[in-house]
Amino acid sequence: MLGILKALKTTLQAAARKPVTVQYPKEKKELPHRSRGFPVLLWDFDKDEPFCTGCQVCARACPVDCITVTMKDNPKKAAGKSKRKKIVEHFYLDYARCMRCDICVEVCNFDAIVMNNTWEGVELSTYDRQDLVLDKDALLKQSRTGELKDPFREPMGVAHSGWSPKEEEEEKAEETEASKEGDEG
Amino acid sequence: MFLLADNVWLDALLRMAIVAVLVPVGVILLTWVERKVIGRLQQRLGPMHVGPYGLLQGIADTIKLITKEDVRPDSADRPTFELAVFVIVVPVFMAAVAVPFTSDIFVRNMALGLFYFLAVSSLGIVGFVMAGWGSDNKYALLGGVRAGAQLISYEIPLILSAVAVAMLGQSLSLYTLVQLQDDTPFIAYQPLAFVIFIIAGLAELYRQPFDIPVAESEVVGGPTVEYSGIRWSMFQMSEFVSLVLISALASLLFLGGWTWPFGADNATWLQVCLMVAKTSAFILFFMWMRVTVPRLRIDQLMALCWQILLPFAFLQIIINGLVLVYDWPSWTLTILSGAAAIAMGTVLHQVARRSGVLYQTTGASQRVGSVL
Repeated sequence: MLGILKALKTTLQAAARKPVTVQYPKEKKELPHRSRGFPVLLWDFDKDEPFCTGCQVCARACPVDCITVTMKDNPKKAAGKSKRKKIVEHFYLDYARCMRCDICVEVCNFDAIVMNNTWEGVELSTYDRQDLVLDKDALLKQSRTGELKDPFREPMGVAHSGWSPKEEEEEKAEETEASKEGDEG
Repeated sequence: MFLLADNVWLDALLRMAIVAVLVPVGVILLTWVERKVIGRLQQRLGPMHVGPYGLLQGIADTIKLITKEDVRPDSADRPTFELAVFVIVVPVFMAAVAVPFTSDIFVRNMALGLFYFLAVSSLGIVGFVMAGWGSDNKYALLGGVRAGAQLISYEIPLILSAVAVAMLGQSLSLYTLVQLQDDTPFIAYQPLAFVIFIIAGLAELYRQPFDIPVAESEVVGGPTVEYSGIRWSMFQMSEFVSLVLISALASLLFLGGWTWPFGADNATWLQVCLMVAKTSAFILFFMWMRVTVPRLRIDQLMALCWQILLPFAFLQIIINGLVLVYDWPSWTLTILSGAAAIAMGTVLHQVARRSGVLYQTTGASQRVGSVL
């Protein structure tokens, strides 16, 4: 009997709280910074070209073989506008195959590929599977237009060396102090 | 009583038409209200997409149910199966005829209105048993038998508590009973009867925690399991109309209907407001109970009815008889009935404690398991 009264109080308190529902397609929860959507390529705004050189390391490392890359000579190198000798020619990534393992990001030597941490990285409904095979332009689009504001970039060797951002900051502080001392000396 | 038309028969027909139109509209609205209220009580939003705040959800559901295919199992007993829904719905509408919503808004003001209401509303049990038998489905049959057992059992404390009020008012006319409560509602004299009426009414509505006949997780919807489309929606409609009617009856019998606290002859709009407020308070309470209390076991349900509610309902009648025969002052009624209500609460509490499982926690031991 008293249990029922207690339970009635509990449900009434629940009614007084704000509902937890998010009206999903209209409003979206903020994704965590490390949210791992499908991989996308990054755009180098300084040189106005992709970071990717088409080296195929990601294609070789990919466990499900969903990446196809080809390389070409960089025309901007000839014109003297860029240091990159080689640049990506074609880049195809099959989102239908990709299992979001993050290995391509880990192996990339140029930090040219990241896991998409926006909602576009997970909302991929299409009517045709073929639409899930994205080419270079489609993969670069989000970075190039600035939609991908703050991609999560794994610091070098985080999985192996026990690196943490705090330590790096400390190191930097030490370095600056050392350089200051050097200046004084 | 004013006439809507010159001819008595035409007048009756018009009043019936009003009931037949208003009731389904009310049901459509009430399904929305119920889903919203339950949503809020569970920290959800409820329906939001169809119309502003999901207001048109009920209409969308109605259209869906009407256009859905009406499936009947091949092995079902056709006349029983198809008639059962009408046997459930028609008595509910017939009961709606006898309920006066204000002193001059009603279909018929009967001298035996309370008797008629209780007699007619209990006819629906036959429909449940028919639906259970006619579906040729073991779950439907089980549900039908459970419905029969539960609804017939709880009919008795419900009627006895209504009889207690009728004793006090010396009348079976709902109109007279309400007019008598212009300064003090009967809940003040009959708290025990009120508690019994609410519990038994909740069981008569077969809503949670008394939804044993139609329990999804036990008998997959019980008698309704083989029904679809418009036939299923008739079950739904009868459930919601009965919810309104039991709530209206509770507010008429115990809370003074349209009279208390503003006296017997107040303006019609005030009467409507009073009735709407009191009835919706009961409806909201029933919805609140629905999200709060888990379902009882069938043996707990039967024990509650026959071993607790029934003796205490008789006790209320005996108290009323003593007070009326020996002409004791009316405050003795309040004290005796209130004491009996507290006694019933204590008995329920003790029974619930004893029927629970002894549960050992660190330090003190406590009993959990039953909420009876």
